[in-house]
Amino acid sequence: MKKTSVQVSAALLLGFALIGGACGGRDDSSSSESTETTASDSTEAAFIDPAADCTDYKGTQGVTGDTIKIGTVRPESGSYAIYDNVTKGLEAYFKSANAAGGLPAADGKKYQVELIKKNDEYDPAKTPALVKQLVEEDGVFALVGNIGTETNKSVRDYLNENCVPNIALATGSTQWGDANAYPWYISGLPSYATEANAWISYLEEVNPTAKIALLYQDDDFGQSYKAAIEKAIEGTKITLVAEEGFNPLAGSTTEASVTKLSQSGADTFIVGVGGTACPLTLSFVPTTWTPMTMISVTCASKTALALAGGKDQGVYMAQPTLDPADPADQTNPKVVEFATQGAAAGLDEAQIQGGIASVGWGFGSMFAMGLKNATTVDRADVMNALYSLQDTTFGLLRDEVTVNTDGAKDPWAIEGFRIVQRENGAWVEKAPVTNEEGKSNSFAGE
Amino acid sequence: MSNTVTAGASVHRSPGDWALKVAPWVVLFVILAIVPFQFPSFRVEQFCFWMTLAIAACGLNLLTGYNGQISVGHGALFGIGAYTTGILITEFGVPLFGATVASAVVCFAAGILIGLPALRIKGLYLALVTLAVATLFPLLLEQFSAITGGSGGLQITSPQLYRGEMRERPIRLESPVAGLENDQWKYFVFLGITVVIFILSRNLIKSRVGRSLVAVRDNEVAAESSGIPVSQVKIVTFGLSAAIAGIGGSLFALDQGQLYPSSFTIVLSIYILVAVVVGGAASIIGPAIGAVFYGLFSDVIVQQMPDRIQPARAVILGVLLILLMLLAPGGIVGGFRTLQAKWSARRSSTHSSGLAVTGPSVTGPPAAGPEVTA
Repeated sequence: MKKTSVQVSAALLLGFALIGGACGGRDDSSSSESTETTASDSTEAAFIDPAADCTDYKGTQGVTGDTIKIGTVRPESGSYAIYDNVTKGLEAYFKSANAAGGLPAADGKKYQVELIKKNDEYDPAKTPALVKQLVEEDGVFALVGNIGTETNKSVRDYLNENCVPNIALATGSTQWGDANAYPWYISGLPSYATEANAWISYLEEVNPTAKIALLYQDDDFGQSYKAAIEKAIEGTKITLVAEEGFNPLAGSTTEASVTKLSQSGADTFIVGVGGTACPLTLSFVPTTWTPMTMISVTCASKTALALAGGKDQGVYMAQPTLDPADPADQTNPKVVEFATQGAAAGLDEAQIQGGIASVGWGFGSMFAMGLKNATTVDRADVMNALYSLQDTTFGLLRDEVTVNTDGAKDPWAIEGFRIVQRENGAWVEKAPVTNEEGKSNSFAGE
Repeated sequence: MSNTVTAGASVHRSPGDWALKVAPWVVLFVILAIVPFQFPSFRVEQFCFWMTLAIAACGLNLLTGYNGQISVGHGALFGIGAYTTGILITEFGVPLFGATVASAVVCFAAGILIGLPALRIKGLYLALVTLAVATLFPLLLEQFSAITGGSGGLQITSPQLYRGEMRERPIRLESPVAGLENDQWKYFVFLGITVVIFILSRNLIKSRVGRSLVAVRDNEVAAESSGIPVSQVKIVTFGLSAAIAGIGGSLFALDQGQLYPSSFTIVLSIYILVAVVVGGAASIIGPAIGAVFYGLFSDVIVQQMPDRIQPARAVILGVLLILLMLLAPGGIVGGFRTLQAKWSARRSSTHSSGLAVTGPSVTGPPAAGPEVTA
């Protein structure tokens, strides 16, 4: 009896597996609303050709009537929850667009956007299941403004294989430059390497023999900075005298590392960490050490710097965008539009001035531009539109920053920075915008 | 202990009873066979994850449920299995399931090492040692980031043809059956392995070795005086339990295709223990039920909750656990057995068949749970 029950169960298992297999197919509700489409034949060879690159291509999934479903993944809780404000800005952009009748598309229609948000706590182990749920169950058209380098990396193969657009990644890791292999990804930030290059270019001007102490986040995000700095200082008199890695998930602070770096004899301090760890790092700098401090663009918002305990005074950054908290920028039409429409869409004063929500607003604007430029509302068309931008601008980019893309040859939308220094809660320009058109990938170190 | 109920049933075994015994299994297998065709592939992948958890819980159950040694470190062993598999495949090009076998061997050795202190210490103190292992493991992964990829994760890849060139691509289990998609194929492969492991564990527990496990748990001195080599039994059980957890971890690696230290924190160890306790320690199927309940909770129910409440999921799980332990200290299987015993007691008293049914003894605390019933 005992033996037979084992055999019976094994036999049953096999039997049912085979029956199930014979029935085949899958009750695939999410794809039922989508139709198989091929991208319209544009005049020149498009960057992405779904007919050649995609099996089971669902170009219009998530588009029903005049509604487009968009998904986004961000940390709503945990130590990176500060970036949830990016998503709030993204949401405000879509709310504002919906209230104005919808996002205009090239087909003459206006589309309402339905944004579905998931919380992955900045943990790449949690991201894949959530993104797959967005694609397979919620049936989104595209992902917009996904936050985090490792988190986006964890679904890169999945999204590219399934030909699902991941637009305006909230990360500038150099790996998004590989548009040849991963054409369904396009970053909404400048490459971290280009940013690091802007720092070093400025240093060469003002302190050609700078001795750098580098604190970097010990993941792809921070390592992008490290590698790019190492590459940029080659052939210059600038040296990297000390470096410390920081693991954002270990639950510790950067205090010990800062103390160590402060004793390295460096006259320049580069803070290549994000989240709240970055402003806290500034607060840990001992008063006896007064280096020229460069901070990551991910840390440069008013909201983040408010946590620096007053030690944000005098820090430098490379800045591609307008700052809604900076009186000098507040009269710019882009900032005015963001401030009025963002407020109407539910952003409060702190969020509008904070400098994080405005980034998300820009991501929404980038998607809107793709939708508007695409010949049809189709996944590949929208991506192709974003990969063939010419002298345009979006979101809260500085007017001097030009946006050009050209497929894998120039996959980065934002490649211009100016150098600014923080003085009494505002930014003062130290060097004007330099646009490094098409060069971003060359700045990436090994 | 609780032999009376089942013995009573087996005396009067009739075709009806047999059908009653087999019917739930048939239903279960039908459900298991249909499930992958009813859900999108990410759900099926989650089911695969639940199975890996069930396997790890099965391993822990041998140790904690049957042998009475408490381990809060099985998440680390699960992780060792996962990383062994990942590294062997990516760095050395070992075939997928070859890596699983290797992981089992590595984890057996690791289990023996961790189990050595168990010869001298027991109970809470052993739990503390294993707790230390579980706490250290993710830190070790960060420390040896050259091999493990650190917090940037380990991408498990093999060279594959993609867009016309050979590239390192994430591993995948290609379905050889035309009607099955890759995830469905993976589901059935995993299900087969899970079922085999549970059946083997059941056979082990029912063998002489299994009885000596239980004897050591119930009374070491008595076991020793009956000629059971207590030290050997304890340490081999630790190794075996670790090896099974390692197989679970290895399958987890094959399921995910990428590994991050944040998946293998102390929390995982606790969840494996929770699966054992919720399902019912010292019952074969208990850990599987516990794993499914945990999976349902964390992957389905929590996802349905409003975003604001989600961070409090650990609190909610804790409250649920306390409630469960109050209502059914023997876990789901224990509670079910109690109900069953009550029901058959009532039936035999109304039929007054004269069979002695001496109440259920299946509600003991999990670690000293009931003996095996068929």
